[in-house]
Parts: sequence; C-alpha cells; structure tokens
Amino acid sequence: MRQKKRYSGWFMAPTMVIFITLFILPLVISFYFSLTVWSFTDVTFVGLENFKMFLKDRALSHSLVNTFVYSFMTCGVKVVLGFFLAVYLTSHIKLKRTLRSVVFFPHLVSSVAVGITFTALMHPSRGLINKVIQFFGGPSVNWLGDPSIALFSIIGTDVWKGLGVATVIFISGIQAIDRTYYEAAEVDGARGLQILRYITMPLCRPAMNSVIILALVSGMKSFDLIKAMTEGGPGTATEVIALSVYKQFAAGYYGLSTAGNVIMLVVIGLIAYPLQKFLISRED
Amino acid sequence: MKKTKKILALALAGMMAASALAGCSGSGGKEETQATTAPQTQAQETKAPETKKEEESSQAQETTDGGWEYKEATLSLLIDNNVSLDGLNAVCDLAKEKLGITIEIEYKVDDSVLKTRLASGEMTDLLVYNSGALLGALNPSEYFMDLSNEAFVDKYDDTYKASVTVDGVVYGVPFASTQAGAVMYYKPIYEKLGLTVPHTWEEFLANCEAVKAAGETAYISCTAKKSMTQVLFLGDHYNVTAENPDFVSAFEKGEAKYATDPAALKSWKKYEDVLPYLQEGHTATTYDEACDMLADGQGAHWICLTQALSNIYSLYGEEAVNNIGVFGVPGDDPDNHGLTVWMPNSLYGSLNSEKKDDILRFMEFYISDEALNAYAGAILPDGPYCIKGYSLPDNSYDAVKNDMQAYFDAGKTAVAMEFETAVKGANCSVTTQSLISGLTTGDAAAADYDEDCKLQAVQLGLDWK
Repeated sequence: MRQKKRYSGWFMAPTMVIFITLFILPLVISFYFSLTVWSFTDVTFVGLENFKMFLKDRALSHSLVNTFVYSFMTCGVKVVLGFFLAVYLTSHIKLKRTLRSVVFFPHLVSSVAVGITFTALMHPSRGLINKVIQFFGGPSVNWLGDPSIALFSIIGTDVWKGLGVATVIFISGIQAIDRTYYEAAEVDGARGLQILRYITMPLCRPAMNSVIILALVSGMKSFDLIKAMTEGGPGTATEVIALSVYKQFAAGYYGLSTAGNVIMLVVIGLIAYPLQKFLISRED
Repeated sequence: MKKTKKILALALAGMMAASALAGCSGSGGKEETQATTAPQTQAQETKAPETKKEEESSQAQETTDGGWEYKEATLSLLIDNNVSLDGLNAVCDLAKEKLGITIEIEYKVDDSVLKTRLASGEMTDLLVYNSGALLGALNPSEYFMDLSNEAFVDKYDDTYKASVTVDGVVYGVPFASTQAGAVMYYKPIYEKLGLTVPHTWEEFLANCEAVKAAGETAYISCTAKKSMTQVLFLGDHYNVTAENPDFVSAFEKGEAKYATDPAALKSWKKYEDVLPYLQEGHTATTYDEACDMLADGQGAHWICLTQALSNIYSLYGEEAVNNIGVFGVPGDDPDNHGLTVWMPNSLYGSLNSEKKDDILRFMEFYISDEALNAYAGAILPDGPYCIKGYSLPDNSYDAVKNDMQAYFDAGKTAVAMEFETAVKGANCSVTTQSLISGLTTGDAAAADYDEDCKLQAVQLGLDWK
C-alpha cells in the first residue's frame, strides 16, 4: 500500500482543515449541545432528556407526517412535470430559449416574496385565484385557512417555484444523449412514444436521480416558504420539522432545538443515503 | 504523524478564533443598517401629530422650564421593530430640547438578538423590553441598573412596581400605559338590539346569540394573526385567579395543571362556546382586517388587546374609536366581573454603560408630567397609566376613560399570567389557533398546553417531574 501512495498526507491538509472546522467540528459540538439545556450563559448536562421530550411532543408526530407528505409530493410532481417540460423544451419549437428562461424565472425570486405573493393570491375573498374560480361559477376555496388543504396549497406553490431547477437539470440530461441513438431507433421504425420510453427515459436517468435527491432533500428541510405563508398554521396543519426546530429556538429552548436538528439530520440521512445508493445501482 | 497532529490542532484553533471574530463584526454591521432604514417609515407615521406636539412642548416650556439640567449626551436605545414609536419620538424630541440628550434608536427583530447582545456585553445604553416574568428570565442583576434608590420609583403604582422588581431590586421605568386583554364591543349594535354589558359568560353568549339572530356577526376572531388568538385564554386570567387564588403559585411548582384545575380549564372551554358565532372565513382574517370590521360595525365583539383602540383611532379617527366599548372577559360570578391587565413594557438601563448619569436623567424625565403629556399628545393611552397622580388626558378614548378606568377604580383588576410567572408555553398561540379553528377540543388543548409549559419549565430549571 505504502508504495502506491504518490502524494504525502500533507497534500490533503488544507482541505481537511476546512472540512473539519466547517463540517465535522460543528457536528460534534451540536451533538454535545443536544444533550444539554443551555442558554448563552450556562450549560446543564441532561443526557437524552431533550430527545425524549422532542419525540414525546404530540405536535411533532404531526410535523413528521407533514414533512414526508411535503417532500415526497413536491419531489414526485417536480420529477414528472419537470421531465415532460424538459422533453417539450428540447424538441424543435419556436421561442425555445425564451420559454426555458420563463420556466426558470420563479426560481430566481426569493421564497419569502413568493410566499407573500401567493398568500395574497390565495386569500379566500379577495384573492385572484378565487376570483377566477368564482367567475367561472365555482365555489370559493379557503386555500390556506382550511386545515385539510393548506398543506397542498403550499406544495403547489413550492412546485411552481422549484420546477425550473428540475427542468433545467432534465434538459441538460436529455441534451447529453447522443443523437445516434435516436437515429438508430428511427431507422428501426420506433415512433415518438417508443423513443421517449426506451431511449430518452433510460438515458437521462442520471439527471433524474439528481432531481429526485435534490428535490427530496430540499423538501425535507423546507422552511422559508411555509414560514412566509402560514407559519405552520392553522394550528399545526402545515407544521414541518424545520419549522418546529426554529420555533423552539426562537422560544429559547436551545438544547431542545439542537436535539431537533440532530434528529432531522438523522432522518434525512436515513432516507437520502439508501435512496441514493438504490438510484445509483439502477444507473449501471 | 505527531507533527501533523500538532499543526492541524494549531490551524484548527486559528480558524476557530478567526471565525468567531468574523461572526461578531458581521452581526454588528447588520444591526446598523437596520437602524438606519427603519426610522424613515416611522417618520411618515409621526407627521400627523407633529403639530399637536409642538404646541404642547412650547406650553410646557413656559411653565416648567429650568427644572432640568441641560447637558449634551447621546444614548442608544434598543426596541422592537413593531412597536408604535410616535409617543417615544415625541418624548425624545422634548428630551433633546430640555436635557440635551439625543436618543439613537436601534431595532431588534426578536429576542435572540437581545440575548446575544446582553451575553456579549454589547448592549445599548437603554433597552425597552417586557416587564414581569420575562424580565426575571433575563437575569437582570447581571445586566441592568438598580433603580431601587431613585426618587422617581416612588411614583410607581404598586402592581407595576412588583412587575419590574426582581429579588427586591427595581429595574424598570414604565414605557407606556397599561392595556387590557378584554372584549371590545361595537356600541351601536348593542344600542340597536337593546343589549346591556354582560357580567357572566352565560350572558355574554346570550348576547352573541341575540346578535346572531339579528343577522350580524357576533364574534370577530383575527385567526390569521396567531398571537392574538391567545387573548381569550390570557384575558380570562382574572376569572381563574378569582376562583382559585393559588393557581399561579401551584402552577409554577408544577402541581396545578390547566387540564385538571376546574377553574383554569374553563378558559379553554370558552373557545368551544364561541365557535358558532365566528365570522365567515375567520381563518384568513388578519389583525388589521379585524380592526376594520369592528370599527365598521361588521361584528359585535372582538376579544383582543386594547392596543387595537389606538390602531382604530389612527386609521378611522375619533368618532370610530368612541363607538367602541370595553368589558373584561366575563366569568361565572356576576358580582365579580374584572379585567385582566397587561403591564407596559419598561425602559432598562444597561449596567455596562458609561453614561449612567445621563440614563438616570432621561429616566426621571421620561415619567415626568411634561414627558407623559408629550407622549399622550402623540398617541393616546390604551389603558390607565401606572404612575401615581397622573390622570388620563381628557381626550382619551371613551373605552379607556370610562369603561376600563371603572375596573381600576373598583379594584377589580388582575395582571395577566405572564407577569406573575415565567412559565408560558411557547406554542400557546398554536394551541389557541387550532382551538378557534375547531381542530381540537378545549380539554385536549389544555393538556397540550400543559405539555408545552413543561418545556419552558425545564429551560428555566424548575423541577417539574
């Protein structure tokens, strides 16, 4: 082994220093603080008490479910819609470049601004969306006030905002496919849908995997949009883990919120890591 | 290998020091930019009462000039960014003229900024912050000036004094008037339907029923403004203490619970009672919209903090605000109908400041009659003052001058729970919002809130096992 080593360990030192100070050290420190009740002046060690308290919280089970619904739904819709949009935007159409920019624009707006705008659009009596529905004779919907649909209203907004990124990744994936495959398939008599199913879809799988992982993880730690739109309300109907953790921190329960963050890290890790392994194994 | 470790350790230590320094300077800069941008909007709001203020201050000069020592100084003051500053600005202008003290206002968005600045010793000279239990939770002896021996403390109303006293030491100066968490009602609807002010919860519900039968909205709820959904619960505290005077102390010890104490549980049940009377689409109603509804008479009752009176006054004028009456959240005993009162925030002086004399000069001035007049000239009080011998201005809102003052005169007031104990669940507003949205029951909400309070108790180091 030693003979194979070409560079000395020193070569890695600068990167290691940065990696350890910025990633490993805070991780270790937050593990320690999650076991304490701390304020800015003192620290009391309490063992696993914070974790027990966090998991016992009844609102938490609700926010866990919401987090999963939120991340899987936004992820699924973004993948499906993003793929078809990308197929459309890579075909021979007019205004291709303009349309691609338009699809990407929502991503450039800050989440808070999007949240505030959509809150206004979804207002039950004065919002534009309901005005349009009423114009066509439909009933008015309390998009963010009705606990049973509030979460889905936010999911819709998130998809609107995040679809651009998914589409752009799919476009680059589709463009990277060698044209010869298509030519060969056409020579063999394959038609539009068959080309889509047997050439485009399998060959842009790496792009799809990136989209899935990115969308899922960003959905899991989603915070800003929900905070801007409902602050987790009505009641706990749209509460997600990241928001619970933030609220606990704002309330001054620093130890508890650190524990919440550690739990969030573990949960995301437990889902994202095996998923990535599985997706990569399918790529080959 | 050993050498590597050593160098790594050194480098690590260096990085940590550097990042810590960078963190400090970064946050400092941010606050400064906030401070410079916010006053512009404030300036616009203060324009209207400006003329009034000038008249008043020139009058004051003739009568009491010369009483104050003039010495140029600049003090910094930290305050929440959502507080109306009209009154403070009026006093600051006067202080500059009379005392030579210029106040530079900085803004905080939430308490973590405040706590960080206290811990790092970078506190402003003056701070405006809650009285009562939240003050106690800040560990004031470490950060704030002891005012116990100042002459002006004798002017304090006893209830107020107790709310800024921690371990026998007085720390604060009242920043504004008191206010109440109470029922505000639209008097023309009451007159039209021949209703009278209810003295029990039953009567209140009967009034709601009558209003509903007349085709009007009986109960306004600004459910979209989460924090205000708490007021029915918090404002019912007078009734809890009337029925069980020991509740607060037992609660702090972890012995009494909302879910099991019959007197305390009633506060939660009241939410269930009002559900049939809510306005349509209340889950989207914001605080401003509720002000609008009450001022317009689109609803008969709104349970909220009486600071809403000032909002209604500044938006819709004197006639609108005098159409509104106030009564305390009714309990069960018609002979003991009281009001739950919120103590004002207070001014505190930083122990680290090098300008302690100037701070004391400003504080003494702040609660002098001429400063109080200037304050009231810019913004009318939302409740009686907690300074002895200073009576409400003649042009105060009817609801304050007549309705609320009557409770004070009869001695039928209690301070809200948050001025008596630091144990207040952080998710209280989430629970009350769920309740008013019909997502949970009074019993379940009370139990949830008990669990929520436990978290706070642990953070405070109370033994609640």
